[in-house]
Amino acid sequence: MSIRYFKRRRVRSALLLSAVLIIAMLPFRWIDANLWRTEEASGWTLLLAIIVLTLLALRKRVPTAPLGRVATWVQVHLYLGLGSAALALAHVGWKWPTGWLEGSLYLAYWGTFISGVAGLYLTRTIPKQLARTGEQVVYERIPRLRRLIADESQRSVVNAVAESGALTLANFYQSQLFPYLDAPRSWWYGLRPTSELRRKLLGELTSLNRYFSAAERTAAERLFALVRKKDDLDFHAAKQGVLKGWLFGHLCLTAVLVLLSLAHMVTVLAFRGGPG
Amino acid sequence: MPTTQPILTRPQRWDEPFAADMSDELVQRLLGIEPFVRMNPADFPRSTPLAGILRNDARVVELRDGDLIVREGDYGSSAFLVLHGRVRIALESLAPDLLGRESPKRLSLWQALAPLWRKPKPPELRPSLSARDANGKVALRNEQAQPRVFLQDVPAVIGETRTAQLRAGELFGELSALARTPRSATVFADGAVTLLEIRWQGLRDLMKHTPALQSHIHSMYRQNSLRVHLRETPLLANLSAEQLSVVEKAVEFQSFGSFDWHHDLTKPNAPDFAQRISREPIVAEEGELPMGILLVRTGFGRVTERFGEGDRTRDYLAKGAAFGAAELACTTITGAPTPLRHTLRAVGQLDLLLIPALTFTQVIAPTLPRDDLHRLAAEAAPVKQSSTATPLADRTLDFLVDQRFINGVEAMVINLDRCTRCDDCVRACAATHDGNPRFVRDGMVHDQFQFAHACMHCADPVCLIGCPTGAIHREQTTGVVQINDRTCIGCGTCASSCPYTNIQMVEVRRRDGVIAIDSLTGQPIVKAAKCDLCNSHHSGPACQQACPHDALVRIDLTSPTSFANWSAR
Repeated sequence: MSIRYFKRRRVRSALLLSAVLIIAMLPFRWIDANLWRTEEASGWTLLLAIIVLTLLALRKRVPTAPLGRVATWVQVHLYLGLGSAALALAHVGWKWPTGWLEGSLYLAYWGTFISGVAGLYLTRTIPKQLARTGEQVVYERIPRLRRLIADESQRSVVNAVAESGALTLANFYQSQLFPYLDAPRSWWYGLRPTSELRRKLLGELTSLNRYFSAAERTAAERLFALVRKKDDLDFHAAKQGVLKGWLFGHLCLTAVLVLLSLAHMVTVLAFRGGPG
Repeated sequence: MPTTQPILTRPQRWDEPFAADMSDELVQRLLGIEPFVRMNPADFPRSTPLAGILRNDARVVELRDGDLIVREGDYGSSAFLVLHGRVRIALESLAPDLLGRESPKRLSLWQALAPLWRKPKPPELRPSLSARDANGKVALRNEQAQPRVFLQDVPAVIGETRTAQLRAGELFGELSALARTPRSATVFADGAVTLLEIRWQGLRDLMKHTPALQSHIHSMYRQNSLRVHLRETPLLANLSAEQLSVVEKAVEFQSFGSFDWHHDLTKPNAPDFAQRISREPIVAEEGELPMGILLVRTGFGRVTERFGEGDRTRDYLAKGAAFGAAELACTTITGAPTPLRHTLRAVGQLDLLLIPALTFTQVIAPTLPRDDLHRLAAEAAPVKQSSTATPLADRTLDFLVDQRFINGVEAMVINLDRCTRCDDCVRACAATHDGNPRFVRDGMVHDQFQFAHACMHCADPVCLIGCPTGAIHREQTTGVVQINDRTCIGCGTCASSCPYTNIQMVEVRRRDGVIAIDSLTGQPIVKAAKCDLCNSHHSGPACQQACPHDALVRIDLTSPTSFANWSAR
């Protein structure tokens, strides 16, 4: 059986990255052997790598420019980002730098690196989780869809009350279901979505079933479906929100990193000393 | 329990005549002229009499000098009979600007980088709104219900282009109307002219009951297109010119299914799978001996196999594909008759060429290399139940055929297992079209694949049929279905014809950003808008270019192979 495309690409890229790193280390050894400053060489290489990594954001802003597919840029971004960790270690060594600027810069670098690795994990796992839900929704449409669910649930309950005059379902709906159906979930759910509340509400609705009139039973069946739909919607809101939040955080850290890197470069050039 | 049901009237074929103003008197006059005077009304069945066809499937069209009747490359569903006056058929291709078309201008690198600094424009801004603003060679005549694009300088066109005249009694446009292929030439009015436009259903019935017309149309096809089709068929690649002529003479034409399949697909109460498959006309049935090789001329066929109490889809066939060759190859080798392993059904309209079995064994089989013949014959051998004719799962094939995604040449498919819902594709599309996205990242989902609402640039572009000005057309070189904003009158025919709801009608704005209002009706001016596959950009579709996770693809679904390969990555 042939190796699938993505697996083949991963192996090929990892081998290429290893080869590039090995080749990149050779000049450093040569520089070191000639008693030149390896920090300077690794610093410039790292700065260049950071600039190339940042270019991805610019590439995305010109989608039709004949500069290659964004997916290819992302692959370069991923492997260059991973490789940059080796450069950072080569530049600083296994220690924390002294001085607030260098300390902040190193913190910003590792913050960006770790957020990048976290992003890789999130972008590879969350899509599969989202795809498993019944309905696929566009993030920006979620508030409107939530409103529609709440309105429909309300209509079902009002009709049941009008038809039968019984208030068992209406009372439960008012106290338990409406607050759930009408509002977005807490920020905590956003970080760690669970189906606990859905199970609890559906369990209570099931246990009340024996007290319902015929009209209420019909409405309750619809409410079952709407609760499941709302749960899927919340799940999408949470997971898509995490992806969007991650990207925002990664971009903010990148901006800080670039600014601190430039400040570091100016400082180094200003205080490098030596002849002239 | 109440047993009464609401009384419904089954819709009849002629519930909606082609034109409301065809009177009995006009029909009688038509019956007295060529070619109808030579047709025998007794040859027509009572359900579709000759007079009924003329009354319900035809209409009289009055045109003025220079009016374009059909344009090369357009799709149409009717043929035209010249009643009075003359028309000219261009024997050479006319320049796109003469036909009211605009070739997309490729953007430079500088223009492609412009989104970095350019100020966003108001949505749906159109600097010019009318064909009159265009180039002066073509213009739009907006006469009541039938707007027309016309040539402004007919003598110049006639002087510069080789043309032929068609006079009263001559028929044109019949081949593309029946086979749903692009018009092969442009025809325009040479002075005032009266035409009888016959829609394809009427033309088909006229042909069925008038052997002379049938043989005329078939001979036209044989003369113009048959040899090209046969020459392009891989199975016939080794035939000499003489052998090809023998096959050409032996070919029989077959037609199955409904031309208006797209109306059924968009109906809210569309039938379920079992009903749908049972409605698809059977062309050749599993277990029967093959009559010959069936070559798909136009349309799509579903290849099914009996399974349990029903039939499951094993493959689908599009233009150029062959059915029944494996069984005939097996028969040639073994000498024993080999029954068909699968059933072929018409999905929508299916036009076929039948090469009789005898012609295959006597003329075609001897030209096939021995290995090829044995490989072909092996396909007809009984196989295990689990194996499939294509690498796609049966239910995926069912889905693609049932939803008619098999019509898509550039369908947008998103792998939801990889899509992070970042909407970079939508943003890229908007950036490419002055801030107006031309697709919706939404659509039917099958397994982890979403079939987004983006124009698929279909093999059978039903949206092109009925456009009164030809504003929506297929670009000759790239095959992209695109809309000329200058000649689009906003009638919405294309949007309502598209069974995939991939065309939107949008309110457009003037240069100053204000919504344009029609001075006659006081209503906003609308235009059709859809994906143009970013054909003015060097890099291809921006959506696919911009996807950071290799989740989105523009893919040809007319054959299952590309999708099978892509989905198995």
